[in-house]
Amino acid sequence: MSALEYNGSAIVAMMGHECVAIASDKRLGRQAQTLSCDFQKIFQMSDRLFLGLPGLGTDVETVSNRLRFRLNLYKLRENREMKPRTFLNMVSSFLYSHRFGPYFVEPIVAGLEPTTSEPFIASMDLIGCPMITSDFVVGGTASEQLYGMCETLWRPDLEPDDLFEIIAQSLLNAQDRDALSGWGGVVYIVEKDKVTIRHLKARMD
Amino acid sequence: TALPISLSSKRGMSRFSPYVLNGGTIVGVSGDDFALIASDTRLSEGFRIHSRTVPKLYTLTDSTVLGCCGFQGDCLTLNKHLASRLQTYKYAHRKSMSSSAIAQMLSTVLYYKRFFPYYTYNVIAGLDSEGKGAIYSFDPVGSYEREVFRAGGTAANLLQPLLDNQIGFKNQTGVEPEALTKEKAVALIKDVFTAAAERDIYTGDGLVIKIVTGNGVEEETFPLRRD
Repeated sequence: MSALEYNGSAIVAMMGHECVAIASDKRLGRQAQTLSCDFQKIFQMSDRLFLGLPGLGTDVETVSNRLRFRLNLYKLRENREMKPRTFLNMVSSFLYSHRFGPYFVEPIVAGLEPTTSEPFIASMDLIGCPMITSDFVVGGTASEQLYGMCETLWRPDLEPDDLFEIIAQSLLNAQDRDALSGWGGVVYIVEKDKVTIRHLKARMD
Repeated sequence: TALPISLSSKRGMSRFSPYVLNGGTIVGVSGDDFALIASDTRLSEGFRIHSRTVPKLYTLTDSTVLGCCGFQGDCLTLNKHLASRLQTYKYAHRKSMSSSAIAQMLSTVLYYKRFFPYYTYNVIAGLDSEGKGAIYSFDPVGSYEREVFRAGGTAANLLQPLLDNQIGFKNQTGVEPEALTKEKAVALIKDVFTAAAERDIYTGDGLVIKIVTGNGVEEETFPLRRD
């Protein structure tokens, strides 16, 4: 039983036309037993910058808090918002600094550039190897299921409303085929002028 | 494939395994008057490709097709065994075995080897006694169930949720479920295998679809990514 498969999660981020979307399930479990259907796995690090953390629950909380601390110090020193690309590098070096005793999370970064509002998504493994894509990134115990859904449903330049439908269907159907993910869903649609949060009605099993 | 010594067991010699994973994916879908089953045509072992032209579909009778993937050695032997049993039945009963009877027989054949199983994931496509499409899916030791659709093999986890969504209309509110036509099913199969070939290294090279109807078995082939 791997540490990455102890609590269960399903997280996905997608690129749209001048927007990004990031979505996750809400289950926290202890192997087969479900403990919570309200567990937060996506964290708003900044105005238009989001971090999704699949993996071990305790590390989800610790990593999000430690990164928020470092990001806040950056904002105080530099007096500007951190770019998504820079944040990706910060998360990557943070994880690699624990190369031989890693945090069991495989983060997903999604956001818009502060000045140009260009969309950005990326993911990395538990020791910080980054991967920037132009379509979608997936993570968690339901990653194979998510790959299948996203690969078929996604197409480039989706508008925010269409992107919501596509990412919601990808998440819902993928988590329904994974015993360790599910129990609800939440979707963040990140646009230049607003962020929309929608909670999904899902199978609660 | 060769493993570096540090990754194999403590003694430095990996224990002999009678099984090998040869990869491949199969998908079965049934409709009101047809059943179709599709497979890719790649045979692999580790990062090596043995062949690009090995379909995993075996026509058992003119109303039943079996899809078989996992360990190719067991797939071939299982099929020889089944072909022999089917022939014996035909001589004894003067008719071909029905799809549901073949499914039941496959279940017992697989369970006979409960303690040294056939490493095969099986899906049968056929017609039931009323002429409606039927899909039966199995686990390696013979547990089986009739379903409307099923994906099996290395890309099963990628494909099954999509079939739930598009054929089962799951998680779709306010959408009228329509009956699945043969044309729509074939188009869907092409889409799902294209997606599987993108993300699963063991799936690719070519796609074979066999469609069982009241008129017999039709076959269609399409190319897939070869990387």
